[in-house]
Amino acid sequence: MAATRETAAAVRDVEQYKYGFVTDIESDMAPLGLNEGIIRFISAKKGEPEWMLEWRLKAYRYWLTLTDEEPAWAKLKFPKIDFQASHYYAAPKQAPALTSLDEVDPKLLETYKKLGIPLLEQQILAGVAVDAVFDSVSVATTYKKKLQELGVIFAPFSEAVHKHPELVKKYLGSVVPYSDNFYATLNSAVFTDGSFVYIPKGLRCPMELSTYFRINERNTGQFERTLIIADEGSYVSYLEGCTAPQRDENQLHAAVVELVALDNAEIKYSTVQNWYPGDADGKGGIYNFVTKRGACRGKNSKIMWTQVETGSAITWKYPSCILQGDNSVGEFYSVAITNNRQQADTGTKMIHLGRNTRSKIISKGISAGHADNTYRGLVRIGVKADRARNYTQCDSLLIGSTCGAHTVPYIENRNPTALTEHEATTSKISEDQLFYCRQRGMSQEEAVSLIVNGFCRDVLQTLPMEFAVEAQKLVGISLEGSVG
Amino acid sequence: MKPSEIIDHPFGSAYAMRLGAKAPWLGHLPGPKTEAWRFTPLRTLASTPFVPASASNDVDVTELPRGLPLIAGAARLVLVNGAYRADLSDREFGQGLTVSTAQEFASSARSPLALLNAAYAAAGISIDAAGAGLRPIHLISIGAAGAEPLAFHPRLRITVAPAASLTIIESHVGLPGQTYFSNPVTEIVLAEKASLRRYVSVAEDSEAFHLATTTISIAAGGSLEAFHLGLGGALVRQEISVRFEGRGAAARLNGAYALSGRAHHDFTTVMDHNVPDCHSSQVFKGVADGDSHGVFQGRIHVARDSQRSDARQLHKALFLSRGPQIDCKPELEIYADDVQCAHGAATGEIDHDHLFYLMSRGIDPATARSLLVEGFLTEAVIEVSVPDVQAHFIDAIRTWLKSREIARGRP
Repeated sequence: MAATRETAAAVRDVEQYKYGFVTDIESDMAPLGLNEGIIRFISAKKGEPEWMLEWRLKAYRYWLTLTDEEPAWAKLKFPKIDFQASHYYAAPKQAPALTSLDEVDPKLLETYKKLGIPLLEQQILAGVAVDAVFDSVSVATTYKKKLQELGVIFAPFSEAVHKHPELVKKYLGSVVPYSDNFYATLNSAVFTDGSFVYIPKGLRCPMELSTYFRINERNTGQFERTLIIADEGSYVSYLEGCTAPQRDENQLHAAVVELVALDNAEIKYSTVQNWYPGDADGKGGIYNFVTKRGACRGKNSKIMWTQVETGSAITWKYPSCILQGDNSVGEFYSVAITNNRQQADTGTKMIHLGRNTRSKIISKGISAGHADNTYRGLVRIGVKADRARNYTQCDSLLIGSTCGAHTVPYIENRNPTALTEHEATTSKISEDQLFYCRQRGMSQEEAVSLIVNGFCRDVLQTLPMEFAVEAQKLVGISLEGSVG
Repeated sequence: MKPSEIIDHPFGSAYAMRLGAKAPWLGHLPGPKTEAWRFTPLRTLASTPFVPASASNDVDVTELPRGLPLIAGAARLVLVNGAYRADLSDREFGQGLTVSTAQEFASSARSPLALLNAAYAAAGISIDAAGAGLRPIHLISIGAAGAEPLAFHPRLRITVAPAASLTIIESHVGLPGQTYFSNPVTEIVLAEKASLRRYVSVAEDSEAFHLATTTISIAAGGSLEAFHLGLGGALVRQEISVRFEGRGAAARLNGAYALSGRAHHDFTTVMDHNVPDCHSSQVFKGVADGDSHGVFQGRIHVARDSQRSDARQLHKALFLSRGPQIDCKPELEIYADDVQCAHGAATGEIDHDHLFYLMSRGIDPATARSLLVEGFLTEAVIEVSVPDVQAHFIDAIRTWLKSREIARGRP
């Protein structure tokens, strides 16, 4: 399970922070705070060419003018972030490995068990020294070789900057410009690494790409930058994240993902996000402020976002599609689960510019405990988007009387031949359904898990197989303790 | 807002004087960055040099404009430029109805426009209803500007006593001429088991501004049936907030708009389920022609522990040509779990199959379109339970459709 293995990195990072980050500031870490010097430091550490540094500085200088423009429109409550109180660069280091699973937090092990993760993978995830038999590096190199033969570029971002500057220059910031929004601008200035993918013309990428392959660059850190380009007639499916709980002491994550689909190309981007949500009282947890956007530049191109968001204390994320090419298609499938004190404000934007463009939005929000879950979406039909078509369905499920579920769609239509439809419902788990399941011997939690999985089915079935199975279990686990 | 800014305000220094100490917490006119006004820019309004109605005496309205509905048995109440006109109004309202003019009262509305009204309004009108078998009231507000653009701020309060029921029809019309700005604030309080039927028609002059703010509170077992028709004005906004204050209350809030030319119409509703066991339903339909702009913003709020709330909302709009823009923002904000809440929104053009069906039966395209538009809007209008009013609204829509056909040279 590719995705789960990637988590090993994240889990190991935690250990890393525990043992190294706090107590002992090493030379490979930027000093506290953010200024031009830090940006130059990051760029120098990465050995970046001059143009890359210039781009970062341009973003940073612009960011300085935004001090009062931190987005405040989302239905989220959190204390003001002190951007000078973070380290913006820490070099990847090897974690001190544990010797056996016995040393791992039993709670974590229990979760792995519920997710059905094989023992071997559990060890990797938990940061136990890996058996030689399971040589992930060799597995990765085999795949890497095959991809190379096909002409696929799949590399850490910093490597792409050196090896494929023409592609990076051409596409970086072309979908999410450095001036896009507060967090994206910050990311543009300080991003440390991420993935770069280029699929050549006419190629159907034979395997699902996952960040896991990038063995050397696991600690992509809190400011990740991903750029995926699907050239004419190509297809790629990309997986991000993992179902197993990921711990990370970085409070703020501000990632940027840019997708470009040219004529007849298709990109499928799947995310399972399960960062540390904080404890039951809302202490700690990740702030996940992500800008994700795809441009369907070419005719008949297609971008499909699927996300399962169960983690993070705060989620601020709107994977969007700009449908420029005629007949292009944008799809957004989302399951967002919030429990305890989690807050999620997530949704999408579908910007229809080309003719015959189509978009579909299916959003399922589940709120439990004291959590708040908001769907926020925009469907905009431009003057020239003849016969554009949008269908949106947002369903919210409330579990318990102390949570909140909100729906804030914006529909802006400028073209008479376009058709937009939006539907939203809010309800709770029906007593009848629960009774029916209980009557057949299921426990309350099993019953809730089953019903919620049914509620999310339309979304979960769009996930790649290996993700889908785990995501289903994750849905149940995320809601544990929410039904009394 | 600094005092100097108030003096520079388009509404002039009288505004500043009346606001007095309250001024600091008043904002400017809401701009495009104010979320509640993102679809309805007030630039033109802010840049028009309005004079207060009290300062303008050069227009004399001596009779009612034609085309106003005749509601059998209704008592008439006429405002010209926001001021009560005894000579055009009925003197007797019948048992149970108390109408007092020259009233000062506070409103719970706190929007910048409502505050502007509070600062500027001439005497308010208060309608108190008690008992059953009351006469319906027909309130007519006429805007008539003289040589200069004119601003007026009607202020109305309606209270309905326990178990009483009242019907009120409001017609907002204008005389052609200079532009005017009508900024009515209406405060409605329904006591326990009280019921109100309120039918509002806004057909202002095509150059006029009309920004209405209505707040309605409904006590236990009370019920509201409201219908708002928007047929004209350069910039019209009908903002309606309903708040349930007691269990078992119900509200049906419906509306329709038909826009042509450069008209802008905005329906903004807030349905606040503040207590358990209340029902609300909303159906809004609109058609947009020319270069018009239709807006619907509807928020349903269900407070914590407002269990067994039932709230529904629907907005549908049709494009009649290439030029218009339709923006829609239905919003759900739910803090209780045992609820049934749903909203739907759709925009599109006339279904070609429907058109084909009618044309295949020998109906010419223009008539077929008119029929379909009328049918589309009528779906909302049939929610009006008073037959006279329903018929009048359907007539008004037909007249609008005819004027549209004439404008396009298809008599």
